[in-house]
Amino acid sequence: MIVFEHVGKRYGGRFEALANLDFRVRRGEMVFLTGHSGAGKSSLLRLIMRLERPTRGRVLVAGHDIARLHASQVPFYRRQIGVVFQDHQLLLDRSIYHNVALPLEIRGVEPREAARRVRAALDKVGLLHREKALPIELSGGEQQRVGIARAVVNKPSLLLADEPTGNLDPQLSADIMALFEDFNRIGTTVVIASHDLALITRLRHRMLRLRDGRLVADEEAA
Amino acid sequence: MSRDAARQPPRGARSQSQGPRASSRMRAWGRHHRAMCLDSARRLLRHPLGSLLTMLAIAIALVLPAALWLALDSARVLDAELEESATLTVYLAHQVEEAQAGRINEAIGAHEGVARTRLITAAEGMAEFQQALGLADALGRLDDNPLPASVVVSPVDPEPEAVRQLAESLDDLAGVDEVRLDLAWLERLRHLAELGSRLALALGVLFGLGVLLVVGNTIRLAVESRRQEIEVVMLIGATHAFVRRPFLYSGAWYGLGGGLLAWGLLGLGNEWLAAPVRALAASYGATFQLPQLGAAGSATLLICSTLLGWLGAWIAVSRHLAEIRPR
Ligand SMILES: Nc1ncnc2c1ncn2[C@@H]1O[C@H](COP(=O)(O)OP(=O)(O)OP(=O)(O)O)[C@@H](O)[C@H]1O
Ligand SMILES: [Mg+2]
Repeated sequence: MIVFEHVGKRYGGRFEALANLDFRVRRGEMVFLTGHSGAGKSSLLRLIMRLERPTRGRVLVAGHDIARLHASQVPFYRRQIGVVFQDHQLLLDRSIYHNVALPLEIRGVEPREAARRVRAALDKVGLLHREKALPIELSGGEQQRVGIARAVVNKPSLLLADEPTGNLDPQLSADIMALFEDFNRIGTTVVIASHDLALITRLRHRMLRLRDGRLVADEEAA
Repeated sequence: MSRDAARQPPRGARSQSQGPRASSRMRAWGRHHRAMCLDSARRLLRHPLGSLLTMLAIAIALVLPAALWLALDSARVLDAELEESATLTVYLAHQVEEAQAGRINEAIGAHEGVARTRLITAAEGMAEFQQALGLADALGRLDDNPLPASVVVSPVDPEPEAVRQLAESLDDLAGVDEVRLDLAWLERLRHLAELGSRLALALGVLFGLGVLLVVGNTIRLAVESRRQEIEVVMLIGATHAFVRRPFLYSGAWYGLGGGLLAWGLLGLGNEWLAAPVRALAASYGATFQLPQLGAAGSATLLICSTLLGWLGAWIAVSRHLAEIRPR
């Protein structure tokens, strides 16, 4: 599904954020990405989303070198990936319903079909009853769940999450991770960046450890 | 990254979303256009004063070139009428007798390039002259008629150059004293019209650029205020066309609003000037109507203003989208 071949990423020509990353993630796998702050977790995810291009090596997703995608193809590539952001990136002037419907609107999904899928996604994260609320009327954990609903409403085959449990209490964090496990169970490939070691070691999935932009450990699920 | 896509993206990535049924994609596209058209109108109405000011600025930029264009249009109508009545006056020599004048008249009538002739004998000329000037008494006392007989010639081709050539060849005929052609003022009018139309074009271009700037600036601010939204939708796979669409509609609405206001201003201006113009024309014994935009002119104005608004928005958004990169 995802292949990194000797990938390096420099910012501004000198600073090496990622160096010589070589690993692959199989279809249907669930992988945690961990490491200290500044280790390069977000940079790695941004490479997969093609928000950045590697300065060295190749990133292949579903067998294709995504650096070679033409700019006009990038939006169509991104539509196949669900992304959960640490700061959830919700649109504050739209209701929860319309936030979750956004990816479908972009794809031009027919409104009735979209409504069905939005409700299903909101139901999955337990927020169906808040569909008319605005994002600021929700708690941090609820906002994060809206972000997850938006990421999965398209039924992506790849789900990326950058610190999805950033500022949440342990119970909420565990709930959210359980949600990702549910999506993984139905075949979605999931990559989650997190530095909450206590939580992710408990979950027993494969773990990639970064230190200063290098892959220092690749521990298969125990 | 479904199995199909795995076999053949990046093209697969597109074909998957373009789907097997193009018609459903077209419907989705039409739906988004409709939605954005209404949404951008709603956004404009949410800030009625600001929108109105933008439209007013556009209207003012449009009124001047439009008015000039209208004035030129009426000048063209006038010019055509004048051309129709462009005539030459051939003055015959004093010693030409009346019978001889008739023959010369016929000869001129047979001349190439002459459409019609009308003979004015010396006596008729005098009568016309007296009537026109109301000087019957003063001239009536003259013993001898000082006026020669003349032939008024309507040329086939009223173009100034052709008329001038005709005049030269008529001048060579026996018994002709002088050919007078009053083309100077016609040509002067032409030059003025030419000057005016260049001026209108220059003003049109200049003020058109003004409209682009007004709309562009307004749209730039709108893009800036929705920057976060743009970044988010680009993160989740919106194309540039999708992002641009609501702003293009805003630009088109501004343009249309500005065009309607300009149309209203032109109408008001017409009302305002109509009375004095009518009085002025009457004092020349003429009836002259201020030119009206008419249906075609109104449509042109509105279409142009809408397109200008759309174009201004397009330029502004495109310039901005290149800068916006999702974080
Ligand atoms: N756009 C950028 N320009 C320059 N340097 C950058 C850029 N993005 C990231 N970096 C640098 O690359 C390194 C890795 O950053 P990254 O955000 O990937 O770390 P991270 O592991 O996600 O950290 P955190 O846990 O704090 O989110 C950091 O040292 C950061 O300063
Ligand atoms: Mg990070």
